[in-house]
Amino acid sequence: MEIEKLKDYANKLMFDMDDSEYETLALEFEVILKQMDLIDKIDGIEKVDPMFFPNEDFSLRLRDDEDITVIDTKDALANAKDVLANQIKVPKVVGNDEM
Amino acid sequence: MKCKNIKDIRNDLDNGLVTSLDLFKSSVDKALKYQSDYNCFVTILDNYEHIDNKDSLLNGVVYALKDNISTKGILTTASSNILKDYVPVYDATIYRKLKENGAVLMGKTVLDELAMGGTGTTAHTGIVRNPYDKRRMIGGSSAGSAACVALGVVPFAIGSDTGDSIRKPAAYGGVVGFKPSYGRISRYGLFPFASSLDHLGVLTTNVMDAAIVVDAVKGYDSKDMTSLKDDKIVYLDNLENDVRGRKLFYIKEILDINSDNEELCEIVNNFKEVISKCESLGMEVFPVSMDINLLKAIYPAYITISCAEATSNNANLTGIIFGSRSDKENINEMMMDARTNGFSELIKRRFILGSYILQKENQEKLYLNACRVRRMITSCMNEFFKEYDGLILPAAASVAPLFDVDKDRLSDEYLILDNHLAIGNFGGYPSITIPSGFVNNMPIGINITGKFGDDSLVLNMAYKLEGTMDYKQMIVGDDDV
Repeated sequence: MEIEKLKDYANKLMFDMDDSEYETLALEFEVILKQMDLIDKIDGIEKVDPMFFPNEDFSLRLRDDEDITVIDTKDALANAKDVLANQIKVPKVVGNDEM
Repeated sequence: MKCKNIKDIRNDLDNGLVTSLDLFKSSVDKALKYQSDYNCFVTILDNYEHIDNKDSLLNGVVYALKDNISTKGILTTASSNILKDYVPVYDATIYRKLKENGAVLMGKTVLDELAMGGTGTTAHTGIVRNPYDKRRMIGGSSAGSAACVALGVVPFAIGSDTGDSIRKPAAYGGVVGFKPSYGRISRYGLFPFASSLDHLGVLTTNVMDAAIVVDAVKGYDSKDMTSLKDDKIVYLDNLENDVRGRKLFYIKEILDINSDNEELCEIVNNFKEVISKCESLGMEVFPVSMDINLLKAIYPAYITISCAEATSNNANLTGIIFGSRSDKENINEMMMDARTNGFSELIKRRFILGSYILQKENQEKLYLNACRVRRMITSCMNEFFKEYDGLILPAAASVAPLFDVDKDRLSDEYLILDNHLAIGNFGGYPSITIPSGFVNNMPIGINITGKFGDDSLVLNMAYKLEGTMDYKQMIVGDDDV
């Protein structure tokens, strides 16, 4: 795996690592991808339906349109570092010169 | 050293020999005493809060919660820098139920960062050490929960288990670790790692206490669409059921080890002794065969599914709405900075792997094939469960590793025996680890996994097996630490 490609994945995930960490990851990818090849060796795998949850018969019924849990505005803002007029304040996005 | 079980504690409380506040203070004192050596806790509480419920066995009993479980007004960090100051604004269902049962929270325990690890070495507050040998890991991710129970700080601690995160540390720490069926305990308020594999469960010093705790917290929750309707079985009342005629199986390929490693040989010998004990109870134990390629695929399938889900689940950790916010002036730079500094290297490596797996061009070959393996393994297990009552195997391939063994570098040379517990997460099966002996002066454990929904039977069989051994209510005494 090329380091530049790994950097691209990291940046898409909105973080970065230092060069030595990317090198570690590149080596690790080789091992992991080799292990993942074990999956391809299983006979008849292409005919199997993927399984996404252990218990696949749980109800997906839409709940009635009623307020069940409402977080108080004060609570909702409690962990935000910058608040203005009961809203979470962030740097200007629309109309920003860099956009 | 032996400790009291929850019923003993309950009797002491009822007879006025001790108060719940005494228990809380004693627990906090122990936690503080051991903190510098073992690092079990992110937060040790100083406020005693108790809702009296005389109908519950847990009334007044003190316990600890893993720090990835939401507790309103109490710091909850998931042992990650990105959440180091996060104070939740709502209670997890499991915490609410424990409060309503009169249980008293004394602290929040250290975990591998975001529950993504199996070593107990990746928390933002440092490594957790094994009470039996400080040079060794306790395992993870429920590291602090296992260690504080093994030290006798609390009679029970809540953990979460995505691949083996309750049951492996239980084995390394000489305690009981039980993960009920998927959905048996609501996950509402558990910080998600991999939602389709995540379970809540409990660490205790004996099987009866595990039954008491799960009886108190199980049941349907409208806030978790994957939660199960209550089975209306009181697990505690069924522990003494006769197990004669019950049939267990083990997968012979998992134990087909050609190794001259003495430790591993002793673990296999211990397993054979446990089988004899099962047979002395009137249970039958049979070897079964399973495709070795399928067994080898357990670990890569687990890593593939869990990393993919984790990458997606943790996309909300940006520091904007909650968590550690950066001072950068551009919103993209803010997120970039918060996530770069907020996650450790291991977590970033796992996220990148998850992202790679989820790329359109890799989804079919990697993610969907891993989900197909998941179905093949669970289909195979479900067939076995038609004939047998449970799977029995050693919980781990070694005693607790020394810290210089780097288990989170995904090694090319790995053993199926060290990863089979993930089967319990693939199928959502009830699964319990109990102590079964010592190798090189370190505890080892045995695991029993049952059919989906058969939580009561798994506890029943484990309880009976525990009764044939001498490790019930075992903790590391003050003189030993």
